[in-house]
Amino acid sequence: MSGTVDLQPAYPAILVAVTAVAVLLTQAFAGKGRTAPFSALSLAGLAAALLSLVLLERAPGAVMGGALTADRFSLFLQVVILAVAALAVLFSPQYLRSLRLERGEYYALLLFSAVGMMGLVSSLELVSIFVALEIMSIALYGLAGMPRARPASQESALKYFITGSFSSAFLLYGIALLYGVCGTTSVEEIARKLPLTTGPASLMAVLGTALLLVGFGFKVASVPFHMWAPDVYEGAPTPVTAFMAAGVKVAAFGALLRVFDAALPSLADRWQPIVAWLAIATMVVGNLAALAQSGLKRMLAYSSIAHAGYLLTALVAAPRIAGEAMLYYLVAYAAVNLGAFGVISALSRDGREPLTYRDLAGLAQRRPALAAALALYMVSLTGIPATAGFVGKFYVFTAAVTGNWVALAIVGVSMSVVSAYYYLGVVVSMYMRDPDGEDTWAAVSPASAFALAVTAGVTVVFGIWPTPVLNLAREAARSLL
Amino acid sequence: MTQHLLSLLIALPLAGALAVAFTRREAESLQKALGIAVSGLGFLLSLLLVSGFRDVASLQFVENVDWIPNWGIRYFVGIDGLSLWLVVLASFLTPLALLGSWTQIHARVREFVVFMLLLEAGMIGVFVAQDLFLFYVFWEAMLVPMYFLIGIWGYERRVYAAVKFFLYTFAGSVLMLVAFLVLYRTTGMGSLSIPELARTPVDPALQTWLFLGCALAFAIKVPMWPFHTWLPDAHVEAPTAGSVILAAVLLKMGGYGFLRIAIPLFPDAARRFAPWIGALAVIGILYGALVSLVQPDLKKLVAYSSVSHLGFVMLGIASFTTIGLVGAVYQMLNHGISTGALFFLVGMLYERRHTRLISEFGGLRAVVPWYFATFLLISLSSIAVPGFNGFVGEFLILLGAWPVDPRLVVLAAIGVVLAAGYVLWMVKRVFYGEVAKAENRGMRDLSARESFVLVPLVALALLMGVASPLFTRRIEPAADALVRQVHLHTAAAATRAARAAAPADAAGVRR
Repeated sequence: MSGTVDLQPAYPAILVAVTAVAVLLTQAFAGKGRTAPFSALSLAGLAAALLSLVLLERAPGAVMGGALTADRFSLFLQVVILAVAALAVLFSPQYLRSLRLERGEYYALLLFSAVGMMGLVSSLELVSIFVALEIMSIALYGLAGMPRARPASQESALKYFITGSFSSAFLLYGIALLYGVCGTTSVEEIARKLPLTTGPASLMAVLGTALLLVGFGFKVASVPFHMWAPDVYEGAPTPVTAFMAAGVKVAAFGALLRVFDAALPSLADRWQPIVAWLAIATMVVGNLAALAQSGLKRMLAYSSIAHAGYLLTALVAAPRIAGEAMLYYLVAYAAVNLGAFGVISALSRDGREPLTYRDLAGLAQRRPALAAALALYMVSLTGIPATAGFVGKFYVFTAAVTGNWVALAIVGVSMSVVSAYYYLGVVVSMYMRDPDGEDTWAAVSPASAFALAVTAGVTVVFGIWPTPVLNLAREAARSLL
Repeated sequence: MTQHLLSLLIALPLAGALAVAFTRREAESLQKALGIAVSGLGFLLSLLLVSGFRDVASLQFVENVDWIPNWGIRYFVGIDGLSLWLVVLASFLTPLALLGSWTQIHARVREFVVFMLLLEAGMIGVFVAQDLFLFYVFWEAMLVPMYFLIGIWGYERRVYAAVKFFLYTFAGSVLMLVAFLVLYRTTGMGSLSIPELARTPVDPALQTWLFLGCALAFAIKVPMWPFHTWLPDAHVEAPTAGSVILAAVLLKMGGYGFLRIAIPLFPDAARRFAPWIGALAVIGILYGALVSLVQPDLKKLVAYSSVSHLGFVMLGIASFTTIGLVGAVYQMLNHGISTGALFFLVGMLYERRHTRLISEFGGLRAVVPWYFATFLLISLSSIAVPGFNGFVGEFLILLGAWPVDPRLVVLAAIGVVLAAGYVLWMVKRVFYGEVAKAENRGMRDLSARESFVLVPLVALALLMGVASPLFTRRIEPAADALVRQVHLHTAAAATRAARAAAPADAAGVRR
């Protein structure tokens, strides 16, 4: 390795990190209790990072010291992560006002977490994956517990912290075992050396893979490592939940895909059946548990568990198409979840937000546009055509069938039917129940309205005209192999 | 313009829905008028299909462009004799349904019109799609507006009925999606074009599974006994316009699905399962008729009679004869007209008395003579009296099914008799005898608007009864081609099997 390190692949993340520091400083100089346009500053930083990604696209394949890469895969997912962060920032001011919590630290933590996510999807090496994961997670622990007066948030933060640390330990152990076998933590090197191992070493490699799977399983909230998700999602401030639901999934699945498809393909025979069973368990448990929820955020939490199952289905399937399918699905999933949590956040006022199906009764008559948007997200989550969610599921199940995992596809579609019941529950409340009492929810702020319009637009446009995203996803997935 | 006619027929209601969505909430008359105008224009355009249609088996008015090239998915639409009249039926009934509900829908008119127009676009889309992906998109997307129509403007148990409707049909369709995906992957052509796939032979063992996957979706939609339980709920709870469209058009998608997809794509399996389909069809005919006999509620009676009528359609399809298929398609149209009209009539009665119980009426013949006359004519059409459309359809079906299995025909004929029984008995109890209830004395007869809705339906029922060749000659080439394809295909499969067996025999002899 030469003395100079090509920093290019890290520029976007550095820009976001610098913005985070700037936000912190602004808070410090603004003085205690004063607010400043933190969200505008954050958005500017995210936009700058996006611009740098576009510029990076001209120098594809740049590598920073074997640790970070700017291949198409990482660029694609970093764009998604920046968009997710920007939308979460757009939802935040209104929610924070409702909680009287307009502080710079919130935005700084959100941006730091985004830095971690960006690192996670561009890491070429297991240790940097671990470091990025920690950057992402630690910032999120803080974000989840931000409303200090709310016990639910405290519980959320603590639970997330404990299970998160626990899962990090698994991941680290897995990395250590793989390092022990291969003598390297580089994804490429592992892929090269792993097929050559024999005897006890190969057993160690399998064990390491299993531990990695557990660690990632926690992060993506796949069954049986999902217990934390409903409580954490419910207790965290809603824009943070949106950010977690969308961003963490995108980042963690990105890293998972890179590690398993690029580093561990030689062990595919071993991990594929396990992942298949995890996928089945995740789809079944997630959907059935979501059926039983009366709380909106909890229902969406279980729904996001269920969707982790669909994404795992893609991982099991034929290697090349799996990457594409997963990337597309992540985009569709992120847009819809941001939107759904965004609606809840946009209605929050004076620390209250719609928590149950009942709270949404008659929304269609009072807020037709908002209700239509939420109905659209529900339809997309169910996987009804003319939405991005359908194209995503079509893609994932095509991948499953291509890989001769027809049973997975059948479980997947059957569980979609189950999911229709609880997603429709939201629609029933909004459209088919009469409103009770006065409309005490907040007027939707322009920023939230804009963000909702973007997510709804993405859901419809990518559902009807998915080709451009499909092409990008295909190129991105190819750069991985 | 004719080369984009089908797209126009889909786009027009979509554009109309968008326009209505942006009107002011209070402008209810404008919204209704706009809905009727747009769908009426759609109907006029659909007549261009009829005039430009050539009586050949091939697809016409074809549009075929890339949609999602990554997966070989195309925007491929076109119609043949099997779909032509169904497209016309859908565009004919939507404006009538909107007009018929002018005074019935008071709340949230804007959304109502939007959903009706979206529904129209979806229905037409299903009948013109020639790509499996496109077909599936319309097939599923159409559930959503129907779900809202039942759930928002329906009667007491509307939410239950709406959710049941959605889950039932959705559950059926998802396995069809898996079947499509498996087909897509095993043919390896990277194409989901229906005509192309129909030309590609599929391994018979695999066909069985794929056929079952698709057949379940279509059987639920038809609905075939025993998959019919969603239908009475949905029909009874839906508002009149919803019931009309549901019965007249949506149910036809099931039978159409068999004709367009399940049979041409999996001909061997379809032939193998034909006796089962025929048997279930006849059970449906008899079961629907018997249950109708004992219904105290007019709307439920009409709903169960649909199960019986659609049994005939399935019997015609299962015959795999040209006559039977023509009869099946014709019977779909007949059922659309007569049952659609019956739902209109029951809805009008409900609007006057807010009840649908047969026992609440009696002697209406003298009170509302015009209503009675219309009701009687439509009833005669529904029970297939010669001179009406129903007769032609049922006769063709029975004729087509006779050479295949005379037992089924005999049993189905009992269903015809039962139909006469339950319909005429209902007519007797509602219209004849003394006017027992005081509330019924002052009932007003058909208004001009209501007559405007009903007269075209009665006229069509008569026209299709006496001038059936006008319609059947458009259906026949496509039906004939389908029958030929199936028989050719099974013959070819038999030859292949024989050839595969032959060398082994020869070797055995030599040894």
